[in-house]
Amino acid sequence: MIRPPGRLMRIVQILILVLMGFVALYPIYFTLLAAFRPGQSLYTFNLGAMFFPDFSNWTWDNFRVMLLESPFPLWVKNSLVVASATTVLSILVVTSAAFAFSRFSFRGRSFGLIFMLGLQAYPGLLSLSAITMILTAFGLYGKHLGLILAYTTGTLVFSTWNLKGYFDTIPIDLEESGMIDGCGPIQSFFLIALPLARPALAITALLGFLAGWSDYVFASSLVPAPDSMKLAVPALYGLSINLGVPWGQFAAGFCIVVIPTIILFLYLQRFLESGLTLGGVKG
Amino acid sequence: MVGWSGRRKALTILAFTLPTIIGLLIFNVYPLLLNTYTSFTNNNKFHPYPDCSAGLNNIMVPYCWSFFENAPKGLGVPFKIVQPIYANYQTIMGGLFTLPGIVSILTIVICLVPIYGSYKIDQRMERGLERSLPAWVVWLAGIVLSLVLLWLIGANAWNKIIEAGDFMAVVGRTTLFVILRVPITFVIGLIMALIVSSPGLPGKAFWRVVLFVPWAASSVAILTSLVWQFFFRENGTINQVLSIFNIKGPVWLNDPLYAFGIIILVDVWYSYPFFMIAILGAISSISNDVYEAADIDGATYMQQLRNITLPLIRPALLPAIVLTSITAFQMFGTVWAITQGGPIRGAGLPGSTEFVMVYAYKQIFQLSNYGTATAFATIIFIFLFAATLYSLRLTQLTKGATA
Repeated sequence: MIRPPGRLMRIVQILILVLMGFVALYPIYFTLLAAFRPGQSLYTFNLGAMFFPDFSNWTWDNFRVMLLESPFPLWVKNSLVVASATTVLSILVVTSAAFAFSRFSFRGRSFGLIFMLGLQAYPGLLSLSAITMILTAFGLYGKHLGLILAYTTGTLVFSTWNLKGYFDTIPIDLEESGMIDGCGPIQSFFLIALPLARPALAITALLGFLAGWSDYVFASSLVPAPDSMKLAVPALYGLSINLGVPWGQFAAGFCIVVIPTIILFLYLQRFLESGLTLGGVKG
Repeated sequence: MVGWSGRRKALTILAFTLPTIIGLLIFNVYPLLLNTYTSFTNNNKFHPYPDCSAGLNNIMVPYCWSFFENAPKGLGVPFKIVQPIYANYQTIMGGLFTLPGIVSILTIVICLVPIYGSYKIDQRMERGLERSLPAWVVWLAGIVLSLVLLWLIGANAWNKIIEAGDFMAVVGRTTLFVILRVPITFVIGLIMALIVSSPGLPGKAFWRVVLFVPWAASSVAILTSLVWQFFFRENGTINQVLSIFNIKGPVWLNDPLYAFGIIILVDVWYSYPFFMIAILGAISSISNDVYEAADIDGATYMQQLRNITLPLIRPALLPAIVLTSITAFQMFGTVWAITQGGPIRGAGLPGSTEFVMVYAYKQIFQLSNYGTATAFATIIFIFLFAATLYSLRLTQLTKGATA
């Protein structure tokens, strides 16, 4: 064990922690305060109100306007639909691919795995104009389905690698004993290996959901209009670059969209830790 | 496995991998091919549509596919393959292969020789039993020497390179950004990991979660960065706090240097938790016996840090550093929300925070310079592909997994 530090060191440590903790949380906290402040400006010239809640001016107005008088609920609904569909689709596609890569040996298997990682090196943003064209050709441009397909492919490589790695750690003996008892290979896989891989499936699902929920670039170019089709993140960003931005409402929308995302991510953290180096590949 | 062979096996494998293959073909392979093809044409806002009878257009460009009924066709002069075929690449990188360009690059490389020298000396001393000089002296000397050289002769060469064309200006700035960002992130992540892992600290789990929040927020970087932008506006939080002390803060985002610094600051905020978590994991895998032995020998905290902790976490961190560098190179949302690539020094020149992805995005979606933008993308891809292969070798991720 490293010796516990002396009292002076401990105080310095806690000071640094408090300072860094403040820096880590302040931007979120700042927006939360602004969401409950009347008026249309994110700043207030009352400096105290930037750091402490100002209960004399407390208002729910911004949330009321956002939830009842703007298309915001529709945006959130669109985002939820796209994200959930991406989750379901990516679980189906990824599980079947990971199953094939983990349980069968066939020619081109290792080539396929490496090839997928190599493809990931091409940033999605650069292929966006081509994707726009091809989706237009198939009549999917401006539709949520096109977006869902693009997101699913985006999460595919990382999730397949992740899930395949997890399947590899499940001993095949378990499935073979299932086969002796009369299951086919696929049936025994679904009944035995899949339930064991639940943690890895959870990551696949969460990553799929986050891909659909938090993306800006694809959503803003593939579904640019109309207002009722937009997704929450690009729509909120679009709100912010208009002239005469209703900042208070933006802050309220920010809280509704971002804070659940952060909580979801915090939950994901313990899964990600083990595969952290892999997490970088996701890019 | 039992009972699987021949055609039945092949069909099963195909059925399971087909969705993946189709998805990758449509959304990854095809865009790559189309972009490479477009990079040899003069496709831009004056020539937006193809002449379907010419070249490979019939196969490559979706507008020419027969089942595509409502394709916009025949407006303006159709685009065609440029002559010479590498003309777009020449536009992007041309100035680089002229004499002044090559001289400037060589000058910059020469300026960096001292740093390489200290690396070599450090390695040699590592092998010997005795160190005649502490490592930090060697490194400091190398870095200071390099900086002095850069200041004396490098600045001039740098300006020449920037004038040579957008490509070098953009890639140069992005590289500078990565070189500055990654070490800062690493040091902050290391300090925070050392503090959080220090024995007997109250509320460990709490601090871990709190310090992790920025990374979680980075998944919606485009929105969170907007909040950061407010802090640095003319009447933003920073300037208001400064005004208490009667300092009139600058308009941060209009100054090229400040804007660059702010982007680094915000991106460090987003990404230090990654290193913190990675280092925490590596530290927890070090056996306590090593520290106990060092304690018995009377090693101080700094000695333990230098001679035990750092060397033992190094293998785990090298891949993390390479991967973060690749991610940092592709950073988009943060810049887009804070500066949109600006501030600009002159019309048509890339702004001082216009990094690789921002440049490509502007060229494609705002200026419709498809031809040159895709040439740019192709060169960037070759870089990134090489970097990814290198990182794969480094992480040995594929070792065993594909055996």
